[in-house]
Amino acid sequence: MDELNLKEMIKSILNEMVDEVSPVINDDTTKASISTIQSIKPQEVEEGFIPDITEVDIRKQFLVPDPVDKEGYLKMKSYTPARLGLWRAGTRYMTEPSLRFRADHAAAQDAVFSYVNEDLVKELGFVEVSTQCKDKDEYLTRPDLGRKFSDEAINTIKKTVQPNQKIQVIVGDGLSSAAIEANIRDILPSLRQGLKMFGFDFGEVVFIKHCRVPAMDQIGEATGADVVCLLIGERPGLVTSESMSAYIAYKPTIGMPEARRTVVSNIHRQGTPAVEAGAYIAEIIKRMLDNKASGLDLKEK
Amino acid sequence: MAETLLSVGIDIGTSTTQLILSELSIENMASVFTIPRVSITDKKVIFKSDIIFTPILENNLIDSDGIKEFVEQQYKRAGIIKSDIQTGAIIITGETVRRENAQTVAKALSGFAGDFVVATAGPDLESIIAGKGAGTYSYSERQHTTAVNLDIGGGTTNLVVFNDGDIEDTACFDIGGRLIKVDGNEIIRYISPKVKEIIKKEDLDIYLNEKMNLKELDKLLDIFVQVLENSVGLGKKSPYFDLLITNKPLNTNLKIKCISFSGGVADGITKESLQNPFVYGDIGLLLGKKISGSLLMTALEVIPTVETIRATVVGAGSHTTDVSGSTITYKEDILPLKNIPILQLSKDDESTYNCGNLGNIIQEKVKWFIVDEEVQIIGLGVEGVHSPSFKFIQDLAKEIIKGLDLLIHEELPLVIIVKEDMAKALGHSLYEHLPKDYPFVCIDSIHVRNGDYIDIGKPIAEGSVLPVVVKTLVFN
Repeated sequence: MDELNLKEMIKSILNEMVDEVSPVINDDTTKASISTIQSIKPQEVEEGFIPDITEVDIRKQFLVPDPVDKEGYLKMKSYTPARLGLWRAGTRYMTEPSLRFRADHAAAQDAVFSYVNEDLVKELGFVEVSTQCKDKDEYLTRPDLGRKFSDEAINTIKKTVQPNQKIQVIVGDGLSSAAIEANIRDILPSLRQGLKMFGFDFGEVVFIKHCRVPAMDQIGEATGADVVCLLIGERPGLVTSESMSAYIAYKPTIGMPEARRTVVSNIHRQGTPAVEAGAYIAEIIKRMLDNKASGLDLKEK
Repeated sequence: MAETLLSVGIDIGTSTTQLILSELSIENMASVFTIPRVSITDKKVIFKSDIIFTPILENNLIDSDGIKEFVEQQYKRAGIIKSDIQTGAIIITGETVRRENAQTVAKALSGFAGDFVVATAGPDLESIIAGKGAGTYSYSERQHTTAVNLDIGGGTTNLVVFNDGDIEDTACFDIGGRLIKVDGNEIIRYISPKVKEIIKKEDLDIYLNEKMNLKELDKLLDIFVQVLENSVGLGKKSPYFDLLITNKPLNTNLKIKCISFSGGVADGITKESLQNPFVYGDIGLLLGKKISGSLLMTALEVIPTVETIRATVVGAGSHTTDVSGSTITYKEDILPLKNIPILQLSKDDESTYNCGNLGNIIQEKVKWFIVDEEVQIIGLGVEGVHSPSFKFIQDLAKEIIKGLDLLIHEELPLVIIVKEDMAKALGHSLYEHLPKDYPFVCIDSIHVRNGDYIDIGKPIAEGSVLPVVVKTLVFN
């Protein structure tokens, strides 16, 4: 094949490829039609959208071709968020499950590395402090700093929070800021309403940036509250990045055994709904105040 | 650590009355880090009574005193006292339901048998209870299959279809072992009204106060068995199919794969040879034998039952009590509550609640329950939503309080039954908006329908759940 032939061939192939997107201009009529296409095009683009693959409910997604017992498989799947029955292409995931896996993984990473929206903190009137961690990297690599405050931070808390209250509520970003953003608006009023039923209430809520669970102990000591309740983002997974936990302790002290904390975990849409969790935590707090104990000590009462 | 509940089951059937005691284990199945999930984990029958013929008075009424005496006797034999009984059910079944004093007897006996022993009746519930007692329910769940149980008693055959642990459909036919009764000399002493009709139409040689003609009886049994085959969709349709329906036939589209038999007649199916077919003074054994040679045994896979004649009583004792979800709100002093009729809101009702109209809808529906110009306690069934917002719950509470203002005016306790997991928060919201210390119960994870009745017992498992019995109460 000589050079000229090769050139012609490449040209025609290229033309064919381009044709699919925009036809080659060779006369006036097509020029006109192209100008109309161009003026319409931006609108068309706006109307179209890519379906959000994270909207698909994995518990109901079933991609096995010719299953022996589809009903049975789906029933089994309804009990678990595990990625079952998503079939394969050769030895690998199919495109959609594979993209979904990456999307969920990305959401989990975002939940860890993002911060709780400043506007939300302001809107809910939290008293904002930070632990000794300077940034997310230090937060992740130095758990010991995530439970300590500077003198300045402690002073801020002491200045704004009433001392020796019955209940001190704290919100911490923990390993998932998304969890706080998803649940905090519903859980706080529910918790307050539940406590009111027993004749209790809580005052200023402290918000802790770069928060590890034992940070609540230092705040407990600084405020002298009877019960400290920390609502904190859980380490996100592939099932949800919006799961929150409540760690609750009666008069927590720095270095106390972990067994003194009572935990309510899995607070998210697919787990315990935030409003129900708030109502339930109110009752736990009441029991703690009645029994002057928390964690395993409370269980034994 | 399991907590146990002592439960009693009493079955007052067309022909026999019996009692069982069973022990229900209640356990928290959730890890310590999550909200408790309390459920019934085990059911064990610990005492079975003698089986007696149901005492009937000369005027055709149920002999309430006779049954009381029997219950007292059996409690003594079992070595328990009435106050030990924590839950349970009395079920009046088959033709006995149609007796005039059925309702009064059931009510009187339920109080007599224990504080939280409920009275139940109705062919649907009877079918379900028998199917659960027979073990067909758990078989369908374990084997992920569709199974029908035929509980063939003295007066009726109760059908229930289970599909993979779900109740699919029920049916009831007037076919049983004691539709014809004979005395020791094989003289016919009783023929039920519907059977009389068939005998007349078929011109069979079977007459009251005459000796039983076995050949003619065989023709009659053929009709019964054909209708039973029809009842599960087998065989050519009998002209007597519609006549023998008690309330309704099966109406399911599912393909039934397995069949089981319970009730007194079920024992006749497996009997090898019959010395005296009329040893019980009825046609039960012969009916059983006829079934053993029918299409029912070959067209479907026959599965074994754990109980036959005792299926219903075991079901009543072991399978009627349920537990509520464990995030609930209640005022203990109003419990137990018994025979509360259900007002279940429809999906449409709830979707319009956004317009602030739900309160009016409830107000309208509450009027259905006004008897003699008096409003009574109602169990309000609400679907709710999955993972609701706090505002939703607040609004719902306000609408409910508005809707039930008639009850609040009369200071009647409120009973709210929510399907979704939101009863604790909803309960707290109700508390906030109701007058101070107003009595109410708000529970979730319980399924109710219009026409149901609900009984709610005193709290168990450290007060985290309430025992609940949902039932139908249909007396003719």
